[in-house]
Amino acid sequence: MAQPHMVPAAHDTALIAAWQAGDEQAAAELVRRHARPLARFLASAGAPDSDVDDLVQETFIRAFRSVDRFRGQCQFRTWLLTIGGNVLKDFGRRAARRKVLPLDEAVRDVTGDPHEHAEAREAEAMLAAGLQQLPRLQREVFLLRAQQGLEYAEIATALATTPGAARVHYHHAVRRLKEIVK
Amino acid sequence: MNDRLENLAKQLGTDAANRLDVEATARKVVERLREQPVRRIAWVQRTWLRIAAALVLVLGGAVVASRLTPGRRPGVSAHPAHLVADDLGDLSTDELRDVLATFDELISPDSVAVPEGSTDLHELDAQQLRAVLRSLEG
Repeated sequence: MAQPHMVPAAHDTALIAAWQAGDEQAAAELVRRHARPLARFLASAGAPDSDVDDLVQETFIRAFRSVDRFRGQCQFRTWLLTIGGNVLKDFGRRAARRKVLPLDEAVRDVTGDPHEHAEAREAEAMLAAGLQQLPRLQREVFLLRAQQGLEYAEIATALATTPGAARVHYHHAVRRLKEIVK
Repeated sequence: MNDRLENLAKQLGTDAANRLDVEATARKVVERLREQPVRRIAWVQRTWLRIAAALVLVLGGAVVASRLTPGRRPGVSAHPAHLVADDLGDLSTDELRDVLATFDELISPDSVAVPEGSTDLHELDAQQLRAVLRSLEG
């Protein structure tokens, strides 16, 4: 397990305070720092590639508008990723109402000829498809742990659960994904 | 296998992340945040509606509670109604008779609640005269 990419928490906190005081550039800097990890998380969690840009923007807008509720209980990025999970869930509901492709079918084409893809790409596609079969909590815990490298305590705080429960969700996710990817 | 899964997970979404124009995203986010005052007004309106609804609930609850409280009848204030007759407490019996005689001239005798068995105000004492005055006030 790689150590999480630690953005200096104090620095993020200072940027948040500056944004709250009306500094737009502080908000822009927070976007620059966290937009790519957020995009990676959203794409992995099932966001269609064509909508990742909009979903990243929406996540930041929601985060900045409710930043008063962020009190440093976890890293800003972790908090941002959980908001991204909610944004993605709302997006899935809207998509379902519009009767467009369900989220899991829109993720990526997993039926392509494997000979046209590298082996790694094939495995990634299988993992992406497998993630869509997981319950949302298992999927988010898996991504926060395996992709973002967060500790269980940090994940538990962000998802309002316990570290023990986060660990159980992670192991359930790994067990199911192994069956899919093997 | 766990390591393989984690490595794969780290690769997921990399293409989407690399395609993201971070500067453009930052610019668009800031532009959208500038529109926030409009949203704030809407928020304020929603907040005032909630406050108004809460006030209605509190006042309604208070009315219901006051009706359910034993020993207090609806419509009866904690402070008794002020009666003009109470202001006559300092008058003597003769002065009270004069006041009632004036009433006699103003209103029909049939509408005055004279105590049963009495036909003449001169037979009434001060307490009875005040009772008559109160009855006149309704």
